[in-house]
Amino acid sequence: MTATNSATRTRISRRDFIKLGAATAAAGAGLTALRPRQELEAPAAAPDERVVKTTCALCPSGCGLDVRVVNGKAVKVEGNPLHPLNQGVCCLKGQTSLEMLYSPERIQHPRLQTGKRGSGNWREIPWEQALDILAERLSKLREAGKPHTLALMHGELRGQMRQAVNRFMRAYGSPNVISNASLGEGAARLALWLSQGINQLPVYDINNANYVMSFGGNLLESSRNVIGYLGATAFMRRGRPERGKLVAAHPRLSITGVKADEWLPIRPGTYGALALGMANVIINSGLYDESFVRDFTFGFEDFADGKGNPHQGFKSLVLGSYTLERTSAITGIPTDIIARVAGEFATNRPAIAILPTEAGELSSGNALYTALAVHALNALVGSIDARGGVIVQRFPELAPWPAYSLDSIARSGEMVERLDGAGTQFPLAASVYQNVPDRILAEEPYPLDTLILLNANPLYDIPSRGRCAKALMKVPFVVSFGPTLDESAAHADLILPASTFLEVWGDDYLEGTGYAGISLRRPVVEPVHDTRDPGDVLIELAHRVGGTLSEAFPWETYKDLVLDRLSRLDREKLEANGNWSELVYFNAAPGSRAWSDVLGRDRLNAPKDGRFDFFSRELFALLGDGPDLACLPHFEVPSELADSTAGALEYPFLLVTQPLLTESQQWQGIIPTLQECYGLQGSVKWESWVEVGQKAAYALGLENGDRVWVESQIDRVQAVVRVRAGLWPNAVFLPPGQGHRTLVRWGRGAGNNLVVGANPNALVEFGSEPLSGLAVSGPRRVRLTRV
Amino acid sequence: MPRWGMVIDLDKCFACQSCTAACRMENNTPVAGKQQANMGRAILWNEVLPFSEGDYPNVVETMIPRPCMHCDDPACVKVCPVQATYRNEEGTVLIDYERCIGCRFCTVACPFQARYFNWFTPEWPEALRAHLNPDREVAPRPKGVVEKCTFCVQRLRKAREAAQAEGRTFAATDYVPACVETCTGHARYFGDLDDPRSLVSQLAASPRAFRLQEEMGTKPKVYYLKEG
Repeated sequence: MTATNSATRTRISRRDFIKLGAATAAAGAGLTALRPRQELEAPAAAPDERVVKTTCALCPSGCGLDVRVVNGKAVKVEGNPLHPLNQGVCCLKGQTSLEMLYSPERIQHPRLQTGKRGSGNWREIPWEQALDILAERLSKLREAGKPHTLALMHGELRGQMRQAVNRFMRAYGSPNVISNASLGEGAARLALWLSQGINQLPVYDINNANYVMSFGGNLLESSRNVIGYLGATAFMRRGRPERGKLVAAHPRLSITGVKADEWLPIRPGTYGALALGMANVIINSGLYDESFVRDFTFGFEDFADGKGNPHQGFKSLVLGSYTLERTSAITGIPTDIIARVAGEFATNRPAIAILPTEAGELSSGNALYTALAVHALNALVGSIDARGGVIVQRFPELAPWPAYSLDSIARSGEMVERLDGAGTQFPLAASVYQNVPDRILAEEPYPLDTLILLNANPLYDIPSRGRCAKALMKVPFVVSFGPTLDESAAHADLILPASTFLEVWGDDYLEGTGYAGISLRRPVVEPVHDTRDPGDVLIELAHRVGGTLSEAFPWETYKDLVLDRLSRLDREKLEANGNWSELVYFNAAPGSRAWSDVLGRDRLNAPKDGRFDFFSRELFALLGDGPDLACLPHFEVPSELADSTAGALEYPFLLVTQPLLTESQQWQGIIPTLQECYGLQGSVKWESWVEVGQKAAYALGLENGDRVWVESQIDRVQAVVRVRAGLWPNAVFLPPGQGHRTLVRWGRGAGNNLVVGANPNALVEFGSEPLSGLAVSGPRRVRLTRV
Repeated sequence: MPRWGMVIDLDKCFACQSCTAACRMENNTPVAGKQQANMGRAILWNEVLPFSEGDYPNVVETMIPRPCMHCDDPACVKVCPVQATYRNEEGTVLIDYERCIGCRFCTVACPFQARYFNWFTPEWPEALRAHLNPDREVAPRPKGVVEKCTFCVQRLRKAREAAQAEGRTFAATDYVPACVETCTGHARYFGDLDDPRSLVSQLAASPRAFRLQEEMGTKPKVYYLKEG
């Protein structure tokens, strides 16, 4: 097949060939085969080939990439071997990012909606005009004294962009920066803050752990640091003398479950009960880390507060309420298995209990206390900032942001209630993404004037039976930074198409490794289309609006901003390696000076005494004289789990969803190779599948390949059936990520405007937990009917 | 002369399909689209195959990443009527696309279903052609020929050229296929099976090592290490 190889392979003459009987069957083709070999022409000039180091932005991991660029075109992506997080490997999303870069579905110029919103009557306009339109609107709004009626909804923001966006909105005078964290990682972050007193996401030192208990199925598939955790799990198993054990509790045998040493099928929405049941066994058997619990935790035993009022502690609550029998009845896991796993967890230290950070995993209405219960297990076995335990992400010291002054308009914005009710309606919340549509529709606390969507697609995430679309239509002016015409961008007035991560400057923290460090993002190729980096657009807007905003952004471009912030780091190393890192993690010894950085640092009302709160003093300060239970990890049974209600008879199945590795939040439906790898466990490509348990499928007469409606009380979607042994008996699984419209004919026989698969979010009526504002989206009841 | 072989540690493989995608991007296999993919015609040289056994709750699922096994006694080569597919002196099984007549005897003979037929001329939306790998060995194949994993021969050639340009002797450790380089669990090993000091030859002799369908007698050169 190649010049090198063909020279050495067996020669075959025409006579030999005819001797081979098959020639008669393929005489015509045979002649072609005998054509003299076309000599491969040497390329006219040596191609201009180089490797550019950058940082991926397709998931929160932020791996280092080496992109092979030939003649100005990016042709292959590899992992950067010098990057501490991925160490040379690259997942399939990174691999297929070139299909995103060169996708014909990208929006190529700024667009203005000329007809009715959502009508699809677009006019392409130059950037100057697009920026004029928006800047003028923002200036007028500000001059009218209503800067707070601007809101910005965003998804994942990378590196300096998080602070840049907040800075922009603060200087403008709006408190409404609304992140989608309440759908996913918000619970883990809150749990860490309320118990451990740090406002960060947990990082798990799986490399050095002996026992890893994953609550939820995401660890090896879609956790925030999935690539780091994949490498670490491999190391835990085969990279060191002693092999660690991985156990996954999940209603479905996900890939994490398949690859774990043990899968615990658990009733949907009951992780909290399992964690407390395990705590019961561990405490009852005296297997917990006594000295750690005595010296460095608060609220383990019953206690009396300063006023002499008695309070319940974690121990008596757990021993009294979460006996093995009760836990087993709630979770559906046999008592002997719970007891064994709890014993293994406590005796194979260092052990970690892992919190899921992905949408849908904890969203059963008890996310806050479930997360607290799971994280309490880590404290019980002394795994707080210990080797092989939960560690705390360190951040490098960057150049300070330049100071700027707030004018009276900007200051007035700080006094206004947030659109999403975070801090008021939901006192613990930082933002409440899923609450936005209803608040817009109800004009609470004020009518919104302009909505900016940055990396966010609320119409897909929280369709809420059309209410989200209505809300978008109600806002007088909607701006989207959508790189493609996603559901929300289609309802915008103005689209300022974002460049892909392969075309822009930027940075990422090495989150998930623990190390303090920065990974640099650099343009790999010239922008393919007339698109811009949202960071550049914000800076340009700031300059045009002027005043405080212009003062807050003294940079010309986002590149200047990033390089300015990173100016204290070793620039040479940053450029050469694509990242800069201390490459070392020091565990803080309990009680040492460093201990205050990992325990209690960010507490507001609770004392920073270096103690882990089983009984959350932060919650106690907030709730005042509430019942003790509200400050302790406990389990509330989701109402949907009751099997005897009328709804349960009509809608017998519990809907489980769980993000897959083959899912790319912004780009699903647009990256064809991800579609062709999409449903590994369902053997499904370019489609959604619904997993049905064996017995349920038998009872309903369903077989593999049947098409069914998955129907909830609010909507229904179609999917193809896969009968699955590895599934909680009355659960059905519908993978998220699909249901987007593609605008390109992919392959033969594909129609235009093809909708790929189904969006399970359509089946869900989103609610919010009272204190925390965390999304409540499951487990929802559905039924299956044949198409 | 090296005898190339691969070892895949299933204890470190997490079925992430990075190999599948890396292979496609490196070797320019075309996008099939929904209709063709549903007919089983998606060309993915390096698929991950799911297997499930047992009933709830005692279920065992296995995920097997499956490249071409580059058998030492390959069934595909024996049935090829035109000697388009052959085993080269380094043990790698390759296909001469110009010689292949598309009879698909080999796709049937292969016990591992590692061979794919081009039912149509590969198509990409024009814009997506920009990212195709320009290496000459992986130029998109014409309609009517069979293709499969080559252990990334283009990488081998480039590694040899690089060694020559740098004035050193080519070593077996100078090159790995794209799937090995990208493997997120570092589960894949690649090298010279004939070199007793090489990691692959040592792992292939491990008590955990097995090969797929050894009973077929094709002597695969891809070894697996069992889980647990």
